[in-house]
Amino acid sequence: MVPKQKKAADTAIRGRPIRGRLKALTRLAGVAAGPRDPVFTLYRTLLAYGAVAILILLAGAAEFIYFEPFGKPAGITVHIAGVYRYDPTTHKTLGPDQRTFTRSDSFAAVVDWSGLPDSITVQAIWYDAFQNVVGGVGPGRPSELSADTVIPAKVAEGLKYHLPGQYIFAVERLDGNLPVEVLGRRIVLVER
Amino acid sequence: MPGLATLIAANPRPRQRPTRYVVAILVAAVLVVVMIANSVLDFAYFDTIPGRTSLYGLLAVALVALATYVGVRAFDRDPKTRARHLVRAGVLLGLAALLWLLFSDVFLFAGSAGPGVAVACTLACVPTTAFGLFVVRRLDRNEKEPWRLVLVAAAWGAIVATSLVVWGESLWEAVAVRTLVPGPGLDASRAFSAGLLEELGKGTAVLLLFLVMRNEFDDVVDGIVYGAAVGLGFNFMESIAYMTNIYAVLSPEGAGGVAAGFQWYARQVLGLFMGHATYTALIGAGIGIARQLPSRRRKVIAIVMGFLAAIAAHFSWDAWLSFFPIESSLLGLVEVHLRTVLMTGPFTAGVVVLLVLGLRNESAALADQLRKEAALGGGTVLPQEVAILTSPWKRWRERMRAVDRGNVRAYFTLARLQAAQLDLAMERWHRERQEIDTPLEAEDELRRQILKLRGQAAF
Repeated sequence: MVPKQKKAADTAIRGRPIRGRLKALTRLAGVAAGPRDPVFTLYRTLLAYGAVAILILLAGAAEFIYFEPFGKPAGITVHIAGVYRYDPTTHKTLGPDQRTFTRSDSFAAVVDWSGLPDSITVQAIWYDAFQNVVGGVGPGRPSELSADTVIPAKVAEGLKYHLPGQYIFAVERLDGNLPVEVLGRRIVLVER
Repeated sequence: MPGLATLIAANPRPRQRPTRYVVAILVAAVLVVVMIANSVLDFAYFDTIPGRTSLYGLLAVALVALATYVGVRAFDRDPKTRARHLVRAGVLLGLAALLWLLFSDVFLFAGSAGPGVAVACTLACVPTTAFGLFVVRRLDRNEKEPWRLVLVAAAWGAIVATSLVVWGESLWEAVAVRTLVPGPGLDASRAFSAGLLEELGKGTAVLLLFLVMRNEFDDVVDGIVYGAAVGLGFNFMESIAYMTNIYAVLSPEGAGGVAAGFQWYARQVLGLFMGHATYTALIGAGIGIARQLPSRRRKVIAIVMGFLAAIAAHFSWDAWLSFFPIESSLLGLVEVHLRTVLMTGPFTAGVVVLLVLGLRNESAALADQLRKEAALGGGTVLPQEVAILTSPWKRWRERMRAVDRGNVRAYFTLARLQAAQLDLAMERWHRERQEIDTPLEAEDELRRQILKLRGQAAF
């Protein structure tokens, strides 16, 4: 029987018992001398892919953490009065605060910058359903932006109408040039 | 009659193996619960359009499950009733596909793109996906997988996997857009959502095939074939969704047709193999390798590694696509191709490496088993047939010679004989590696079948 032979080889060389490291080496030699299963080549290749996959996912996690740094939020919020229909010729808003618009509607967010401390740098950005930036003001200190209370969402370049889907309006606090926190946010839907 | 001890010794089974059917039933039960909860919760809380589709599409999902059950049962029946069961399974699958397309059409796109566009997009994707499935099935040059299972895999990818991800992705998206800073962080979060949820949804289908259809799931090659088939099914449904959606978005701008056409090219030509098919093939490869590993710990590691590779491949595409911007000029056409080759190409190459290694192992093992079978002298495999059976090209040439000698029927009879001989070699290989469930009698039955086929082929 194979196991018995293996045991005999492990326990004695020229009648002497094998102990310690030598025993481990003998076992290793036994493994190496055995028939090589080609499935293990596949297994090892897959392990290498898995290692690369882990690196990619770690890089992704690092990217996420870089743009979404953990840490205490500044505890500041901005007051967004609402999102209204907008007249581009008069630069004024119309009607009540709305959550949905049609593709041909012009609309704008109204921000009250006065509640923010002037020690921070902020920007306000409109993102369309495809994550394109379609309007905004800043970056700057809140006092520098105080004249820009009405921030319209523009129609993406080359298009006649807004793209349908979710539009995000975000007032972001910047650290250096990097947005690190959303101080206020409104989501509106542009219907098909 | 051999004694029981002899039979057990010749047909060794690892003890304490978890009953894989129980695992499969558990996975299926979890799937059903997730899917129903998914659809109801999405409908109740988000009321997204895909959520509504998912809820009404549950009937289509149930039909796919029933078709799979009937199809699997067909293998336990005698050949006379098997055909009837397979026809039933085929009809159920066809109904499910039609129903699903109807739901997608009515609830997703009919209001915007219109049913005509939805039908046109579907028709445009059918030949390319069919071509993809044809190529993928042919990859297994030694023992092609049955069409019915390849189609079931594709249907699971198209209907069940797409339904599974709706709730998860809707919930993730709802939380992410309300909490994260829009920009690269949110993009990375979305990429994690797509990679994790879509690959888990698709991978479950491959895992179920592995648990239920072990006899048709031999090794890494089969895993790649089934995985890619699931991916092609998913890609089929996703292509239709993107094409009709982009048509609806850009048709008021007068660019709907061109945009839908570009989506078709990007997903059904350029990304046919370098996309979902590659990702799910990596999962299939992991499961296929696990199929032949002796220890349970390594099996689990192999399956997890396959999933991780697929998730990472999918994630990298979604997260880092913006690093390869496409210019709106003629150069953009070159850039589109380069982007796919550079970003997904390495993963597709990884699948090809596993496939080539797997085919080499399989061919060597089959050649060895065919030689051993020929040495038994039972007439199932003749010594001079070994070289022919191990080469697809020589097998085909031999079948063509049979046509010259007889008629077209002789071609198919010889094809069945060759397939049965390779089945026997595969069965012997698994038994030698102690990784088989079927009793030894099944092998003897296969031998009887071969001798019968040999008689019909008049050799």
